[in-house]
Amino acid sequence: MKRQLTITTEPIDEGALLSKRKMSDSMGAAVYFLGVVRGTENNESIRAIEYEAFHRMAEHQFDLLFDQMEKRWPIESARLIHRVGVVRVNEPSLWVEVVAPHRGEAFEACQWLIDEMKRAVPIWKKPLSC
Amino acid sequence: MQITVHFHSYFRDLTGCAQTTETVPAGSTVGELQERLIDRFPKLGAMRNSTLIAVDLDYQGRSHELMDGDEVSFFPPVQGG
Repeated sequence: MKRQLTITTEPIDEGALLSKRKMSDSMGAAVYFLGVVRGTENNESIRAIEYEAFHRMAEHQFDLLFDQMEKRWPIESARLIHRVGVVRVNEPSLWVEVVAPHRGEAFEACQWLIDEMKRAVPIWKKPLSC
Repeated sequence: MQITVHFHSYFRDLTGCAQTTETVPAGSTVGELQERLIDRFPKLGAMRNSTLIAVDLDYQGRSHELMDGDEVSFFPPVQGG
């Protein structure tokens, strides 16, 4: 399984990422997820979220998750971009692409990856008030 | 044994530092290190049961035995996405 992980302070450029999609002839599904910062957190208006990562451990934990993904589903590739630093409301903080032969495994693997990320990958967020 | 301890996220605010060292007896566990740190930084006590602990880059339970020179990270539940 090809894997690409980027943890960055740079904005997520969906167009550039989509233009780099690669799928072999036997792949029939590409599932995308975009996580976007909401304007409220715990019922209070916010202007942004500041994300912080323990980078070395986050990369290691993502690697472990990709290893498990590879064992569970016939995924050809997974790409994941997570922003850190200040991400304003309406801007994406997370972009995920999973390429697989069929939609079932692509959806399932994508959901699993995000769920597990929220459980195990050391990234934290701090809402910034308006 | 000398253990290097790192605090992440708001644990830095609770302790007032990002890193410290703690000297512990040989054979000490992660849980015993946590109790020493709570003695030093009482604000960590309220987070005792929800604190996540990693030795180097892997999560470890309270019963994990530490080695001299280990780097141990303490942090609150993660919230990526």
